[in-house]
Amino acid sequence: MTILSSKLRQSTAAAVLALTAIAFAGDALAKDLTITVWAGGSGDNDVYRLDAIEMAADILSREWAVRGDELNITVQKKRDFAGWPEFKQAVTLAAESGSAPNIVVTSHTDIAPWSQAGLIVPVEDYVDLDAWPLNNIYDNLLEMTSYNGVVYGLPQDAEARPFFFWKDTMKKIGYTDEEIEALPTKVELGEYTLQNVLEDAKKAVDMEIVEKGYGFYPRVSNGPDYAQFYQSFGGELMDKETGKLVLDKKAMTEFYQFFVDAVEAGVTRKNHIGTEWDQWYAEVASGKAAIWHGGTWHYARYTGKEGLDDFFGNIQFSLIPAGNEEGHPNTITHPLAYLLTAQKDEEAVEIAAQLIKIASEPRINTLHAIKSSHLGITREQSNIELYANDRWASEATARLLPFASSQPNNLNYGRFSEIMFKGLETAWTGTKSPADAVAEVEVEMKALLGNDLIVR
Amino acid sequence: MRRAHLLGLGFMAPALLITGLFFLAPVILTAVFSFTSMSSGTGISGGAYSVSEQTIRELPERGFPQETADLLAKDVYRIDEAGLSDLSANFGEPFSKQVRKALSGKVFDGRKALVTEMKKLRERPRSVRQLKISADLFKRSILNIRFDSKAALLASVSDIGISLDASQQTILAETSYTGWSWTTDNYKLISSMPSAFRAAGNTFIYVTLTLSVSIGLGLLLALATFYLPKGQAAAFRAIWILPRILPPVIYVMMWKWLTWDTGFLSNFLLNFGITPRNWMLHSDINAWVCIVLINGFVGASLGMILFSSAMRAIPASMLHASEVDGANRRQQIWHIILPQLRWPILFTTAYSTLSLIASFDYIYLSTDGGPGRSTEVWALYAFHTALNNYGGALQYGLGAALALMLVIIGIGASLFYLRIFNFNELVAKPRIEQ
Repeated sequence: MTILSSKLRQSTAAAVLALTAIAFAGDALAKDLTITVWAGGSGDNDVYRLDAIEMAADILSREWAVRGDELNITVQKKRDFAGWPEFKQAVTLAAESGSAPNIVVTSHTDIAPWSQAGLIVPVEDYVDLDAWPLNNIYDNLLEMTSYNGVVYGLPQDAEARPFFFWKDTMKKIGYTDEEIEALPTKVELGEYTLQNVLEDAKKAVDMEIVEKGYGFYPRVSNGPDYAQFYQSFGGELMDKETGKLVLDKKAMTEFYQFFVDAVEAGVTRKNHIGTEWDQWYAEVASGKAAIWHGGTWHYARYTGKEGLDDFFGNIQFSLIPAGNEEGHPNTITHPLAYLLTAQKDEEAVEIAAQLIKIASEPRINTLHAIKSSHLGITREQSNIELYANDRWASEATARLLPFASSQPNNLNYGRFSEIMFKGLETAWTGTKSPADAVAEVEVEMKALLGNDLIVR
Repeated sequence: MRRAHLLGLGFMAPALLITGLFFLAPVILTAVFSFTSMSSGTGISGGAYSVSEQTIRELPERGFPQETADLLAKDVYRIDEAGLSDLSANFGEPFSKQVRKALSGKVFDGRKALVTEMKKLRERPRSVRQLKISADLFKRSILNIRFDSKAALLASVSDIGISLDASQQTILAETSYTGWSWTTDNYKLISSMPSAFRAAGNTFIYVTLTLSVSIGLGLLLALATFYLPKGQAAAFRAIWILPRILPPVIYVMMWKWLTWDTGFLSNFLLNFGITPRNWMLHSDINAWVCIVLINGFVGASLGMILFSSAMRAIPASMLHASEVDGANRRQQIWHIILPQLRWPILFTTAYSTLSLIASFDYIYLSTDGGPGRSTEVWALYAFHTALNNYGGALQYGLGAALALMLVIIGIGASLFYLRIFNFNELVAKPRIEQ
């Protein structure tokens, strides 16, 4: 028992030493602490990812004061990263050089590599998941922030990625109001597929209701959205049995072919990838595109910055339609998570853990959910007026969330998705045929993922 | 050693230091990194030995007995004497007594079950973290513990009563290791990946085309301004230097405004009935034209300055004499000016080749290698691999191997150029002192 228990005792001694001050101090205690929080992929609507930590710090200090102790937390917030790549680069390099922020708000898919590298610590070591408010968080979200059966992070928000239809354009190509109302159900039942999307988009272009290239107007950069189309054609990201990533060549080829067909039919631009986001948002929110896809948070952008007053009068939304018989209509939820980084100062980690716990209070999380049009993380949010009375939150939750899946927490998923997207880009821009692009994807994936890949 | 030599060395010292710090050290580090499997998943500072669910799944595939793997997968918490005495030492006798009374001899599957029981005890630590640490004192399994060394891992495995033979120990240690290891796989990977070949091809296209544009245009500008009156010539040169002195971000931003589908070019061509398009990213040919021009204009200014000053050094009497002989401008350029520009042209070509091979800043800012990797040059490929991609899967080792190949090509090219320049001749001792 020597080594194991000495290992345990060692870490215990360090932790106990660090924490004795907090837990057992008889005298009043004063503590000054700076907690840094970095959030990736966050715009003006997402300020509560950071502000929630500030609110939590206020509450925690008050709790200490009530107990007779003094806690002064300075929260340093940062979210002005150029994009996800720059954010992840910054966090990784800062952590490697020992100056990681205490809390990061990032994709749940970062948990696998960062936990293996020892950059983050399991949140379950610091908080009681069976106590309020964490026992109110949806179990499936907590599963997404776990890796190897260990809960590493707390879900910060949830979302889904719907298909959007501009109602006016749909009417002009021959849909009645009733048919538009019934569209989400038809998508859900698999009666309206991606082939129908191409047909309708082509009608809209041919009838000159929208410009060429604006019939189907997809996301302009890499993102979980594209994995949805892979699933629409029957692709599976991870094999549940073995935990390995799956390259389904047939599904991948058909998924690429769909975008090539869209370009050939003139409904999607060949050079669409790389379009500026600002331009893209302005165009879809003003009806310049017939059919497109996005995320639940787009609601905030369309109705806010882009000035679309009547969202429900102008836009219909549904799941991502199935692509063929093997596939199924789906949507991906890509929750961001609060993660705790490994720090020399054990006490700072403990306090950071308290902060993200408090920030998960339904009332505080609701501020973020509604302000940024994300979905809630706790069951109790449906009893909070701000959330319950928000039409978008309730309808999107009901229509999309039951069918939402997530991307796998796998060490190599980042590489997998990168190669998948590059392959799509080469096919889409006509550099290679879909079959050749998939052949290259296969070679690259086999080389880079090795044993962690199943090819079908 | 003579004092003069020491003095010379003294003068050289700063340069040597800078070469050492900013060239040799990074190159050596890159070389070292390139023989490792470092990535964002392994970390840089070294790994730990940790048996996780993933390890358990992988073990049987590597020939480890399934039953032993299943044993390792158990997460056992046992309330025994050793644990109780640890508990009393760290958390006080009263709590230890309560645990002994309520739970002695019990075995729990996972910490959660034990903590749930502990929460019912009145003397328990009130902080969640403390409570979990106290529960960990009873952990009698190794699942998800990060051990600093292989020896510690294996000793703990035998502590919990699992005996492994030598080969099983090796498999377990290798599978559970989370850090990086020494390897030559990066070079094998590079030689097997289509994207690497494409990057190499792209680099060749990029260097050749950009070089032709920048040298050709530089020469043209130098010749054109040579025959202009001084004032006008200076003004023209100043304008052509703008691309070089503008901050790259702003320079590229202006190109984007020019080429966007809502930009100047599209709006202008709309008058002639041409549908707006993104002239930079419409196809790989568009992207190449933009990249070659963006870089070519920057390069042209350097050529222009060097060639202009070299032309000034041509004795005016030669030009006057040629005019007396009835030579026209074309003959002047062909027979007098160009032959005397041989060395500046060669120098600029050599210098620009070397800087182009390693540069990717303007490409990164404009197309970022798109569309579909068609303009991703080797240096940008290395940057994307090692430091910058959407998924955050940073592969430091592979990226370093890619970068090192650039260094080797760069040094090779430098040696080649030194040879054709006949460097010794260029720096030959002045005859006057002989």
